[in-house]
Amino acid sequence: MKIAKLHDKYYKKILIFPAILIIISLIYLINFNTINGDFIYKDISLTGGTTITIYGEINQAELESFLLGKLEDLNTRQVYDFTTREQKAIIIETTSEGEYSLNLIEEFLGYELTEGENFDFEFTGSSLSENFYKQLLFAILLAFILMAVVVFIIFRTAIPSLAVIISAFANILMTLVFVNLIGMKMSTAGIVAFLMLIGYSVDTDILLTNRVLKRKEGTINQRIFGAFKTGMTMTLTSLFAFLFALFLVKSFSNVLTQIFSILVIGLGFDLINTWITNVSIIKWYAERKK
Amino acid sequence: MKLTFKIWILLILVFFSLVAIFGIPPKAIQSGVLITDVEKSSSVFEQGLRAGDILISVNGNSIKNLEDYSQIVSEYPKLNEERITFLTQNKKEIIVFEKEFPPISISKIPQTNIELGLDLAGGSRALIKAENKSLTSEEASDLATITANRLNAFGLTDLFVTSVSDLSGNNFMLIEIAGATPKDLRNLISEQGEFEARIGNKTVFTGGERDIASVGRDAQNARIESCDQSSDGTYYCTFSFTITLSPEAAKKHADITSNLGVNMTSQGNYLSEKLDLILDGNLVDSLLISEGLKGQLTTQISISGSGTGQTYDDALNSAKENMKKLQTILMTGSLPYKLEIVKLDTISPTLGKEIIKTIIFTALGIILIVALTLFFRYKSFKSSLALVATTISEVIIILGVAAMIRWNIDLPGIAGILATLGTGVDDLIILLDESNQKVILSLKQRLKRGFVIIMGAYFTTFASLLPLIWAGAGLLKGFAITTMIGISVGVFITRPAFSDMIKGLKKE
Repeated sequence: MKIAKLHDKYYKKILIFPAILIIISLIYLINFNTINGDFIYKDISLTGGTTITIYGEINQAELESFLLGKLEDLNTRQVYDFTTREQKAIIIETTSEGEYSLNLIEEFLGYELTEGENFDFEFTGSSLSENFYKQLLFAILLAFILMAVVVFIIFRTAIPSLAVIISAFANILMTLVFVNLIGMKMSTAGIVAFLMLIGYSVDTDILLTNRVLKRKEGTINQRIFGAFKTGMTMTLTSLFAFLFALFLVKSFSNVLTQIFSILVIGLGFDLINTWITNVSIIKWYAERKK
Repeated sequence: MKLTFKIWILLILVFFSLVAIFGIPPKAIQSGVLITDVEKSSSVFEQGLRAGDILISVNGNSIKNLEDYSQIVSEYPKLNEERITFLTQNKKEIIVFEKEFPPISISKIPQTNIELGLDLAGGSRALIKAENKSLTSEEASDLATITANRLNAFGLTDLFVTSVSDLSGNNFMLIEIAGATPKDLRNLISEQGEFEARIGNKTVFTGGERDIASVGRDAQNARIESCDQSSDGTYYCTFSFTITLSPEAAKKHADITSNLGVNMTSQGNYLSEKLDLILDGNLVDSLLISEGLKGQLTTQISISGSGTGQTYDDALNSAKENMKKLQTILMTGSLPYKLEIVKLDTISPTLGKEIIKTIIFTALGIILIVALTLFFRYKSFKSSLALVATTISEVIIILGVAAMIRWNIDLPGIAGILATLGTGVDDLIILLDESNQKVILSLKQRLKRGFVIIMGAYFTTFASLLPLIWAGAGLLKGFAITTMIGISVGVFITRPAFSDMIKGLKKE
């Protein structure tokens, strides 16, 4: 087993790779925070504002150039049928006042809009969304702590538990950085996706730790490799499934698109964090205990 | 493969879930139309017809679908009949004597018992707080009760009003109205509706049960009086309806009027002060009080007002709307606080069907991809099939539980179900791999070791979902609860059954 020997030789050293990634991510986020005043770009579900969905075929480019400069923080996108590619609706997001925005859009369309018939209206007050945002962050923090507590209860030893928690943390951190790098504006759904990510990323870590520490048969390397095979099947299956889902939901639902995008990104980083970060720490720990 | 106890439990639960989802007999093959709303002041309501009833025939003509119903409604005035017999599925027979067909809102019978959230079924949702005041949870729930009464009185019935609180202890009122999106929801809740009837500077009565015994709303006691064109070309219509004062309010009226003087005019003799009707600080109307009422204990009072518009129809509708609003406020009283809408969503049902179609397609695609990946990994057709069957039954049970506890499935909820599929498959892979391990343990012991990992993963996920039940005034509760149901069903029911299936397959 050449790979096993290589791994035996370098497994401590390759920990530098995730360590550097974590440090760069932290620096990036701190820098991001000083520039933007927050850790993410927020969409209007978190800043407050109005979403107007207009049904029918409407030229997105023309509408956008008409509204540009008149509406604040303007964002438009299309909703279309995924089989026929036929446009079903156009969604306009803005932090400008709702009534004013509607009048402008009616001016562009040249016909009257009737709520519930040819358009939908969603409004979130800014004080409420600020409050929501704080609570969701709190929920994530709380979720993370609860997860950590459960992990400690399961393994009852400090270093393996910490390894799981560090991997989960690194996973969320790296995903957050990636999401910021591609300029994704986070919605409430996106934050929920991060919460799901906590659950997903510890799955493979628990599998690995359990196999390495609680099993007696085979060498440590064999146990790690066994866990690797199972874990890779798990993560890759989920990845394929979510990529497919992402491809389909992209046409109509911003909520689901964001959830699946974040899960796909997160599962990608989970491969690094479980099979480099966590593996190296747990191997180190197991070798020393021997 | 032997059907073990655990597999039986799975099969029985899948069966009951299907029953919970589709009903017995299956709703999809039932004929008739579902009544979604009956106006409270109508004769059919008095006779006992209610929202939720399934209408199967009118005047002996059977109604199989919406077309049958609309045909009967459109033909009825031509028949010159005066008697309508409604027959519902639960054998209710309702007979009314009307020349016009009563206003009933109907819809298709839903094909399943699964209730869809607002973002899929369409409707409006408003999250409301008191302006400049933080509500205690009792205040919020009182407010919800009053508002529900008010919306009901206004004729909106398919609604859900409740008080909600969030993680920081703020209390809100949440209003959800399914189906159609009423444009007047905003007006109805944004106006406090403080009503006062005054003579001079003395209050005679206000809205609500204490002062008002009943409000006339039928054709005899409430009507549009007249419509005229003003000199500037606009139209105005006047309305009037009668109300019955409580004995206390009537006594107050008598006491105040007994001290007033009398003005003689060519139109008749009236008291020196008028009865002013004031709504939210604005004068709605000033009514002359005839001499005969002076000092009298009158309980019947006629209230009037008007509506204006650019066209005749506009004015008529505006008068009707104003009348309805005034009637509502007189019946329910004013809201205790000035309210502020902090979140308002209206979603039309147009996109919902499209979304559901795509989601079903997505779910099937996910299951197919999972099956293919696993087939390539394990090269065992039967194991892959068992895995797919287990996953599908998991979805069925989640939906069954949702239908049983009347849990609304919304978009985040669907994300939750899809997420459950993901973790579910993960767990099944763990079990498959454990069963394939080359150790000298019995298969049972090997699977048991798999369960240790699964339970660990389960508890971490479950714990991480808990805070979401309360965060953000519960608007993401759908996701949290659906996922929790999903992973619990998985860990306690489908996975044990799956491990028995593997045992069965291995023995063969």
